[in-house]
Amino acid sequence: MPKAEIAKKTLLGVVPVDSPFYRFHPATRLMLLVFLSVTPLFVDLPEINLALIAVALFLLRWGKVQLGQIKRYLPLLFTVALFMFTVAYLAPGDRAMLTPFKLLGLTFYLEPIWWAFVSYCRLIAMLFGAILYFSTNRERDLLVALRTIRLPFAASYVLALSLRSAGMFMEDFATIREAQQARGLDLESMSIADKVKLYTMYAVPLFAVALRRADEISNALFARGYTLSARPATGGKRSDYLRKQYRLLARDWVAIAAMGLVFGAVVALRIGWGAFTDDASLLKALFRWGVGV
Amino acid sequence: MALIEVEDLRFQYPDGTLALDGVSLTIERGEFVALIGQNGSGKTTLSKCICGLLRPTGGRVLVDGIDVAKRGVKRELVRRIGYVFQNPDHQLFNSEVYDEIGYGPKNLGLPERERDALIREAAAVAGVHESLFHEHPFFLPKGLRQRVAIAATLAMRPQAIVVDEPTTGQDLRQSLEVMDFLSELWRRQGHTIVIVTHEMPIVAAYAQRTIALCQGRVLIDGPTREVFTHADLLAQTYVKPPQATRLAQTWTALGVRPDVLTVEELVAELERVLAERRGVGTRRAGS
Amino acid sequence: MTVRWAVEVEDFSWRYQQAREFALRDVHLKIPEGSFTLVVGPNESGKTTLMLAIKGLIPHSLPGTLRGTVRVFGQPVEHTSAPVLAKRVGYVFGDPEAQFTALTVEEEILFGLENIGVPEEEIGERIRWASELTMVADLLDKPPYDISGGQKQRVAIASVLAMRPDILILDEPTSMIDPLGKDQVVQICAELKATGSMTIIVVEHNVEAFAHLADQVVLVYRGQVVRVAPPQEFFEDLAFVAQHEVSPPQVTTLFALLRERGLYNGALPLTDEEGIAAGWQLLAGEGR
Repeated sequence: MPKAEIAKKTLLGVVPVDSPFYRFHPATRLMLLVFLSVTPLFVDLPEINLALIAVALFLLRWGKVQLGQIKRYLPLLFTVALFMFTVAYLAPGDRAMLTPFKLLGLTFYLEPIWWAFVSYCRLIAMLFGAILYFSTNRERDLLVALRTIRLPFAASYVLALSLRSAGMFMEDFATIREAQQARGLDLESMSIADKVKLYTMYAVPLFAVALRRADEISNALFARGYTLSARPATGGKRSDYLRKQYRLLARDWVAIAAMGLVFGAVVALRIGWGAFTDDASLLKALFRWGVGV
Repeated sequence: MALIEVEDLRFQYPDGTLALDGVSLTIERGEFVALIGQNGSGKTTLSKCICGLLRPTGGRVLVDGIDVAKRGVKRELVRRIGYVFQNPDHQLFNSEVYDEIGYGPKNLGLPERERDALIREAAAVAGVHESLFHEHPFFLPKGLRQRVAIAATLAMRPQAIVVDEPTTGQDLRQSLEVMDFLSELWRRQGHTIVIVTHEMPIVAAYAQRTIALCQGRVLIDGPTREVFTHADLLAQTYVKPPQATRLAQTWTALGVRPDVLTVEELVAELERVLAERRGVGTRRAGS
Repeated sequence: MTVRWAVEVEDFSWRYQQAREFALRDVHLKIPEGSFTLVVGPNESGKTTLMLAIKGLIPHSLPGTLRGTVRVFGQPVEHTSAPVLAKRVGYVFGDPEAQFTALTVEEEILFGLENIGVPEEEIGERIRWASELTMVADLLDKPPYDISGGQKQRVAIASVLAMRPDILILDEPTSMIDPLGKDQVVQICAELKATGSMTIIVVEHNVEAFAHLADQVVLVYRGQVVRVAPPQEFFEDLAFVAQHEVSPPQVTTLFALLRERGLYNGALPLTDEEGIAAGWQLLAGEGR
């Protein structure tokens, strides 16, 4: 196959063929995901969250991820924004307590809009952590990471099996969709009611195919001598070959320690000193000035 | 105007795989064509592009003059070309055979009476008996499920149908049944048939024209009989002519034609060569 | 010298729970240790059911009614546990996609090894051996959905081979893959046969590719084993074979037809090479 190998497929997209991230242990990379997605929970100040997004973007760039790949998340980012700001506009809360301002002939309230913005920055920062993770990690990395933090085999295996089933499910879904189009289904000219009905139609073949698959998988598990306890036939502990292929190096410990320190500091500053609230936000001041209140 | 015109078609998957790298060909009305080539040669991608199921990243496909990549041509397109998927399970989504076959005509917005006529006609042609109309398609045996899938495609009265691996996983009798059926459609009803397959004996016995793809390009395209004489070229896409053809080609020095397609042809050919030799032999003995 | 039987099926009948009729009736079959058996017959005739019975999925995992016995190396399958059977009998299912349970090729191969308790220090060696034999060594870190059909099938074989079973069952190993993939599977089978240590059973419609490897061909038809014979002998009676919906290799059919017409009287060839030689002798010999 003529393959200008620019990327490797994963269940959720693609990862670069080569990336500096691969020099780190999968567990370190999982820690980065946790760090990038949990830190924003302790931070209201949008400047910091925007900085975290910038860090994630920089890391994406550094990790040799094709930035074109990010484009497919744009509709998601946009939909979330639309939803949050619409809610803030339509249901601002007790209007008497709020500061109104006018824009394009509509009346907005400062606090809910500002809060929507703060929450949005936080959410997007968390989302970029996840995007970064799934753009630089394959399923195998996730499994190794989970085994490294000593998740029991059966649990990580069920996770793997469900990820795999999800992948097959998505493939079946795509094929069924194609088959419907091959029979003249025209999504563009359909009413909402028809679309709902359409999804119930997917259920028949998807369920049917899944049933056959479930049967096959249980046979496959039997054929390979798998028992529910996941204990090997000889008794004793199950070996963990995959995990032992990887070793945590000095750079991993340094990275994990650094992330741990920063995270610890953020939590301590937030809880101990009440830092990172949005009061100190320059953007907020700018915003107030911008809308003239 | 040719029924299918493919011009410099390109298709690249998001991971960078270039599945089609400039394919050009035309298929006339009433042809029976086999698309062959190893996995990854681009046959399935090409067949899906032709039916408008994949949007090419370059070049274009015209079916009966319609550019298949244009928006809003879907309904026009399915009346001209139908696609039968390899696994019937993926394309049966109604709870009754009758509705299944009627799904396409319904999408086309045809009135009920006309639909009913189309359903009955397609079922009859595909050999799906009316007593099965209220069965659940999923519980039918595999051969019958495939027939329902074909009937469902025929019900839109396409001029051409593309069938992906019609004989995969089938035994001898089932393979002959489905191929004889497609052959009948081609001969009697004048349909254009395109099959995508790995089974060379099937290609040799049924397809009038064969197109071999290799690494996203057309490797060779011509009458099946001629295509199979280019064994060395076909080897590039890991395709071997049927065993009978291969044998004949090792005996060309002995006067055997290199372009036989079936065992029966080869038997006749060997009989001819032997008779000729005997003829020469007796004449010599007589002189 | 006494033959050791890898498989002994005696008076075996099986009916699936919901089925009205028996899928297999009064089956007798003996397979010698170290032999290569090709099982043929139309779809739904009971081939796979017979294999499942040897593997022990029947009666361990599938409900139904059983009569008679199946013994693997003298031990009744019915009274043998799954992990022990997993070591004894390896089973490669027809659809490779359906038997993958892992997210990478390496893990797929690893899975069975950890299940049967292969010691950690031996695992690497086993993975290397199985993946090299099946030519998938360069795919180990790939997810099983990102490889071709032929590669999937070879991974499926590797993951079973790595467990070093005494008996290897391949159920229609080439039916879903392209010609190159088919050739590679046949090549793997030939190599395994050459080592001589494994008893191999292949269920196939593609008789042409496997006939020459087989020590015996078993024909299953409508729930019964109707013929067991070495390949040459098996295809002697072409009418019988055709009547039971099996297609012999084209080269065998060719020479059988020539023989019917009185043009040939040698042994029936099974491979290209044998056929080519027979043809040269027939044609060039006549000319002399």
